[in-house]
Formats: sequence, C-alpha cells, structure tokens
Amino acid sequence: MARRTTIGIGLDIGSTTTKGILVDSSGTVLAASLVTTGASAPIAARHVMDELSQTSGKELTGLPIITTGYGRTSVEFAHETVTEITCHSMGVHSLNPDIRLLIDVGGQDSKVIRIGPNGRPTDFELNDKCSAGTGRFLEVMARVLEVSIDDLGPLALRSTSPSTISSTCTVFAESEVVGRIGTGAAPADIAAGAHLAMAGKVATLAKRVGLVTPVGVTGGVALNPAFRHYLSKQLNSSLWMPDKPQLTGALGAAILAVKR
Amino acid sequence: MTTLGQEERHTEEKVYRQLRANSLLQEIMLRYMMEGQAASEQGKLAWVTSGFPVEIPVTMGVNVSYPEQYGAIIGSQKVGPEICGFAEELGYSQELCSYARSSIGSVRYPEKSPLDGLPKPQALLACNNICGTVLRWYDAVSQMTGAPVFLFDTPPTEGDQPSHHREYVRQSVLRLIDFLSRTFHTSFSEERLRKVGELSGEAIDLWTRSLKACRNRPSPLNCADRFLAMAPIVALRGTEPAIEFYQALLEEVQERVSQGLGAIRDERIRLLWDDIPPWFTIFRFFNGLAARGVVFPADTYTHAWSGSLAGADLLDSVVSVYSNVYLNKGLEAKVDKMCELIKEYSLDGFIMFSVRSCKRYSLGQLVSKELVMERTGVPGVVIEGDMVDSRLFNDAQIQTRLDALLEMFL
Repeated sequence: MARRTTIGIGLDIGSTTTKGILVDSSGTVLAASLVTTGASAPIAARHVMDELSQTSGKELTGLPIITTGYGRTSVEFAHETVTEITCHSMGVHSLNPDIRLLIDVGGQDSKVIRIGPNGRPTDFELNDKCSAGTGRFLEVMARVLEVSIDDLGPLALRSTSPSTISSTCTVFAESEVVGRIGTGAAPADIAAGAHLAMAGKVATLAKRVGLVTPVGVTGGVALNPAFRHYLSKQLNSSLWMPDKPQLTGALGAAILAVKR
Repeated sequence: MTTLGQEERHTEEKVYRQLRANSLLQEIMLRYMMEGQAASEQGKLAWVTSGFPVEIPVTMGVNVSYPEQYGAIIGSQKVGPEICGFAEELGYSQELCSYARSSIGSVRYPEKSPLDGLPKPQALLACNNICGTVLRWYDAVSQMTGAPVFLFDTPPTEGDQPSHHREYVRQSVLRLIDFLSRTFHTSFSEERLRKVGELSGEAIDLWTRSLKACRNRPSPLNCADRFLAMAPIVALRGTEPAIEFYQALLEEVQERVSQGLGAIRDERIRLLWDDIPPWFTIFRFFNGLAARGVVFPADTYTHAWSGSLAGADLLDSVVSVYSNVYLNKGLEAKVDKMCELIKEYSLDGFIMFSVRSCKRYSLGQLVSKELVMERTGVPGVVIEGDMVDSRLFNDAQIQTRLDALLEMFL
C-alpha cells in the first residue's frame, strides 16, 4: 500500500449481484452500491466503484480494496481477496456482535457460519453442487409461476395449505411444480411449498453446524419474507436480519480493508 | 518470455523440494510393472485389492498387480473421464467407484488405456476389508477375462475381535492357500512366509519411521511425497526392492530433518489430510497450498499400511493385521486415528476429501468432522470431489472452502 488510510472498500462479487461498500475506521458506511453482475464481473465491479465514488464524493484511488464472493479473483485492482465466509462473519459481527450462527443465502450458494467472539468464523458448511437451497431455486420457481422474484414471497405468505414439493433438485422441482399447476393447485400454495422445501434444506445445513441463538440471516434471499417465515419455523427460532442483508459481505470486506 | 509450464515449474521449484529418492522409486516401479507383464505371460499373475494379505501369494511365488494403483495412474495421466466412460458405455453407473470404472474400462479397451492396461490376470484376489465394491468389481473383470475370483472375507470388527471371528478369517487364509495351490500349481511353506513377513515388516518399519519423522517442524515430507512413496508399500510388500527404496527414503528424510529442511520452503500451517487424493491434480493441489505455507505432515491414507506379520503363529498374525484395517472398523476407530494424528504431528487443522467414489472411506465424514473438531479444538473442512474422475471436482467450490479454512488461521 502506498499510504495508510482510514477508509476501506469492500466489493462482494456474487453470481447474481455485485455489491460495494465504503467504510471508515469507525465502521460508518460512507457509501453503498449494488448492481447486477451480468456477464462481466470486472465491469460490474468498476460500475460499483464509480457509484461509490459519486455517492461519497471521494477520490477512491489508492484506497485499500478487498474483494469477496465467487468473482473475487476476477478484479485486477483488488489488493486482497477474502472469502465470503469470513467477510459475512465480520460484517454481521460489526452490526450485531451477539450473533453466533449466521445463515447466508445467495444466488448460487447457501452457507451456515459459526461466528467466534472476535467476529471470525470458527466453523462453516456450504451447500454442495446443488442449487436447491439457493436463490436460484426461488428464481426458477418464480419463473414457472409467472411472478416476479420480489412478489414470490408475499404470494407464498397468502397460502393456507402449502403444496408438497418433495424434490430436492431444482430441475426436478420445476417439473413437480408444473405438475401441481396442472392439477389445479393454487399458485400461493405452490409458492409456499417451494419456500418450505428450500427452508428445510437450509435448516438441515444449519442444524449440521449446530443451532446457537440468536440466529442471523443475510444474503439477498433473506429479504424474502416467506423464506424467513418458514426458516424460522423449521429452526424454531427467531431470526435477526440487518437492514440491508445483501450488503454484509461487502461490509465485512470493507472493514477488513480498513484494518489492512 | 516464459511459458505457463515453465512458470508453473518455477513456482514449484520455489515452494517445494523434490525428493532424490523419487528416481529410485520410478526405477523400482517400472521394474515391478515389467515383472508383472512377464508373470502374466507365464500364467503367474494375480490382481489384488490394496488391503489384501499379499504376503500369501508372494510366498507362493505368485506375482501381483494392483488395479487401484493402476487407477491412480489413470487419474494422474488425466484420462479418468475417458477410461471411466468406457465402463459407463457398458452400462455401469457414474456413481460406481472410479477405480472400479477405470479398471473395467481399461479391461474393455486396453489399447486405449495408459500402458496398454494392466497385464492380464490369471486370478483375482479381493479382500473386502477396504470395501464391498471390490467383490462385484472383480466379478465383472472375471467375466471379461475368465480369471477366477477369490474373496478373502473379513467381516467388519468393532472393538476386540471375538475368537469365532478370528477363526472364520483364519479359514479364509487356509482357503486362499488352497485356491492359489490349485490355480497356480504352487505350494505354501510357513518358513517362506516367515521370510516374506520379515521383508514386509522391515519395509513397513522403514516406511513408518519416515512417516513419524514428519512430526518434526518443518515436516520433511508433504502429502504428495507420501502418496507417491507409498507405491512400494502397497505393491511390493514382502520383497527386497521395497526395503531398498524405503531405506533410501528414510536416509533422505533424516538428512532433511538434521539440516532443518522442510518438504516445502516456508512452512506456516500444518494440516491433516483425510482420504484418497485427487490424483488428476495432485501436484497442482498440494503445491498450490504449499505456496501459501500449508504442509500436510500426516494423512489417514498412507498411515493405513502399518501392520507387520509377527509372532509364533503367522497365520493368526495375518488374520489380525488384515481384519483390523481401520476402514474395516467402526467410525470411532477412524475418528480416534485422526485425533491421534493431529496431536502426534502438532497439526493446526484438517481437510477431509469426500471422495464420491469411495463410500467406505468417505462415509460419516460430516459427523467425524464435528467429533474431531470437538475433541482436538482445531478447525476442519470437508471438500468434495473424486480420486480419478475429474468431472466430479469443482475447483471454485473447493477453493472457497479451502480459503475460508486458511483464513481461520490468520
């Protein structure tokens, strides 16, 4: 690094969206940005950097940058890469130091992280080679039900009798949903069944790591109220969620960048 | 301007110390393969599983070849998907063990397989102390080659082995001697077994001393070193060349220890490896971690060949050694072994490779991980892939898990 700084930049380059955060050494967020990743992670990252600069009115050249997420190695101007597991853990810890178990559900993975007293992860589990417990599962379900992804959760919460979606595979679940539509099941019940199946999968992962309350939820999927509802029921626990759950990975990266 | 290959070699030279003994290893293994070919032509070759009581056929003058070792060659030559694909074309499931698939595939198309396939066997000797798949796999090869199958049945043990259990396995040893006598027109001599057992024991002792030397900091051997160096302890137990190699290896290991030289240049994190390695990326994988200061002073795989034949009743010793392979024991035995290795080798954490092919080895890893973490207080991670079939190995997912584990040590 050319000079010591009290401002750091965190970029979380996920499969669906790219997030950026600018923080100072007190942990205050100076600017935040979220764009669709699209076909090029470097272009999305550059776009986020421009937005951070514009929002904060600061010149970002020379500031420490840490990238995280699946595209973390694709940005050449990053000074360091750190996994989303450590970044989400650090980000959540800065917002709520009491959280010891974090469930993060993003576009292509779901992770459960045990957070140590210092904010560092002490254990974790990720879904493996399967999209059934991820945001992608809900995207596919929304498409089949012909509703937007933002409307899928509220639709599911109107259900009084969730359909059974037994398949744990996104592709087969899609066929199953088409079958349910064919037999006249209500879209709300089908949507509820999809959330129930997904929450069950994520809850199993959480139980594997070991349930410790209070439980935190982050990632874009945490914004979905039906997912939180069914996950909370499955875990028999209330869930804590930050205001902007999709940004905690970038926040953790930015905090680590300041400390760098 | 350097090519990528040159850059990779340069990086490896920087992070990793080559063993001089590797040239002797290559020479010995080449000779072993040529002898296997000659034995096959003379009608004296048996294929054996890795946990088979090989001292018996060796005593009776029967040469042995190891399809599992050949699977490792197929993997390291990066032709696993192609050769496994030959078996899949015959109808075998992609869920079947990739050692079995690559073996069956190479029997079907030896001309399209590395080294033109393993030399044709006259008998197939399967011991189910490592898994149950071996019997059906050898049955399939038997149908294709006409070689008869002998099953050396070792029922799983939990705790102490009861006497009726020991007697049952002892009868298997006697049946084996009878089978080999009839199939290869040869005879058994206890005196000769004692000699072979001594040679086997000597090699195991030398090998074990090299393994134990890795308790030193820095560790004189890394995972890839041991996975290559284990070849003679698997294939040449009970023979002079194995002793020759392990003597040379131990000398080099002791030299490294006395000079304070590690297997990698900058040892910072010491980890335990569990399970069979991904043969198709073994150097890239372990040297990539070595570049980040990660060394593996111990693993559960190469420590599995540690039982020597000894005592007045040699057949009883065969029963004991080959029934008590830890894959033939309960999960607790493996958890105990992992905890013991972590403590003995002063390890900071562990990586469990969940091998899709090897259900017996990989079963219970998630539970084991929790138990080992609880008992030792060190973190671990499970990564998923395969030993031969690179189609089951997802680089990005594995990298994230490894990176997250390493970040715990910062």
